[in-house]
Amino acid sequence: MGTISTADFTKNTFVEFKGEPHQIVEFQHVNPGKGSAFVRTRLKSLKTGRVQEFTYKSGESVTEVPVVTREMQYLYTEGDNYVFMDNTSYEQFNIPALMLGNYVNYLKPNDVYQVLVNGEEAVGLRFPKKVRLKVTEATEGAKGNTVSGATKTVIVETGAVVTVPLFIKEGETIAIDPETGTYLERA
Amino acid sequence: MKTWRRLHDTPSLWERYFVREKVIRAIRSFFETEKFHEIETPILISHPPAESYLDVFETTLLDRARRPAKAYLSTSPEVPLKKLMVAGLGNCFAVTKSFRNMETQSNLHNPEFTILEWYRVGADYCDIMKDCERLVAAIVGNGTLTYQRQKIDITGPWEWITVAEAFKKYADVNFDNFLDEKKARGIAAQKGYTLKERTTWEELYNQIFLNEIEPRLGQGKPTIIYEFPAAVAALAKLKKSDPRFAERFEFYIAGLELGDAYSELTDPVEQEERFHAELAEVKRLGKTLYDFDHDFIDALKIGLPTCSGIAVGVDRLVMLLADTADIADTLFFPASEEFDII
Repeated sequence: MGTISTADFTKNTFVEFKGEPHQIVEFQHVNPGKGSAFVRTRLKSLKTGRVQEFTYKSGESVTEVPVVTREMQYLYTEGDNYVFMDNTSYEQFNIPALMLGNYVNYLKPNDVYQVLVNGEEAVGLRFPKKVRLKVTEATEGAKGNTVSGATKTVIVETGAVVTVPLFIKEGETIAIDPETGTYLERA
Repeated sequence: MKTWRRLHDTPSLWERYFVREKVIRAIRSFFETEKFHEIETPILISHPPAESYLDVFETTLLDRARRPAKAYLSTSPEVPLKKLMVAGLGNCFAVTKSFRNMETQSNLHNPEFTILEWYRVGADYCDIMKDCERLVAAIVGNGTLTYQRQKIDITGPWEWITVAEAFKKYADVNFDNFLDEKKARGIAAQKGYTLKERTTWEELYNQIFLNEIEPRLGQGKPTIIYEFPAAVAALAKLKKSDPRFAERFEFYIAGLELGDAYSELTDPVEQEERFHAELAEVKRLGKTLYDFDHDFIDALKIGLPTCSGIAVGVDRLVMLLADTADIADTLFFPASEEFDII
């Protein structure tokens, strides 16, 4: 396994932390007021899904965990597992729900996703910044309520509930940030 | 999507952004009551500060013949305020834009930010601690606030803890031992931190502070952490009774660092020595070397009155009151929306 510097960190970097593989889910540079610089990270365990914080010295070298991205089709859920299939090799992979976090709300069966694979195990998904989903249930915005900028909730095709501006109608497609579940724009 | 467009689509978002004007009005009203002078300090300056960790924005000033002079964007109003205190200004404050480069990829930083600094003449850092308690109380209004689902009781007195006590309490480190570089290396190694030949004491100190202490500060109640080791004294006076420590404090609310204060160093000789040490550090880090402001040393030679002051991140105060986890959510035009690289 190779080593990388903290300068190479991205949100999809996988590193060894306390002997276990982890994904860097967040990182930011910190200058604590004098002298050296640091990188504060949030690391998600690929084994347990538990998220921990750790602050590295800037430039510190860290062991990288090799992870490849493979395109796979999402098939169905089985208990707490989400089952994906590689359409070229027909291999199936299970991803536990806790590795997918909020993303589980926006998965559409039969759609193709970028699955992250470490050795023989699928460890997560590389989600786009936006997912486009059709609104399947929406109430009309209250009449005359145009000034307050109020919001309402709608249901999208995956069953997730999303808070949107009043002008969104049933049948429209909207863009959602799958990490936070917030409405971004009309797609 | 740009913020203005989001506001256009979802007008209920305006409320969050209007928190800023409320905070700034409360700050001005607080210092008006305290009879402080408000000073407009320059943003375009001729000398950047001698602080090794800062990356400054450089620009060029031209005269009519296009003769160039180097110019920089201010990183803090501290030096102009201190020069004016030498001139006899007295208690003063500034709320102004400051700029720090290479502070991207962070939900706590924007390269352009609003800073509040105030200085009290004849005061030491304990007086500034009390100012902080009263100012935050005046801004928040009622005695509690909720930040990211955490209730914070902001009525005083806050939690006051020294750096040494915090190392004991949160990291189980005896700070008397840790002040010895050799022992500090042993302690850090035992905790599993990576040590290199060139790892400095200050790096070990900060790594333990950032990993084991800072996230625990200001939980439930604001925390004032004080008496910083002399190695990270910056522009603070050393304690007379124990020169291993400096009269510096920081205050935290819900893990957010909001302000950094000192009993100000008034000794021009020591100030110049620290500038030279900072410049040596700038060199070691391979950053651009600038000449420091000799006019500031001249001013100190005439005599900065005994005083104490603080820099507070106004955007972070706004974050706290608007209950947002990202500084960008308090700005109409955050750099992350305006520039591609961020």
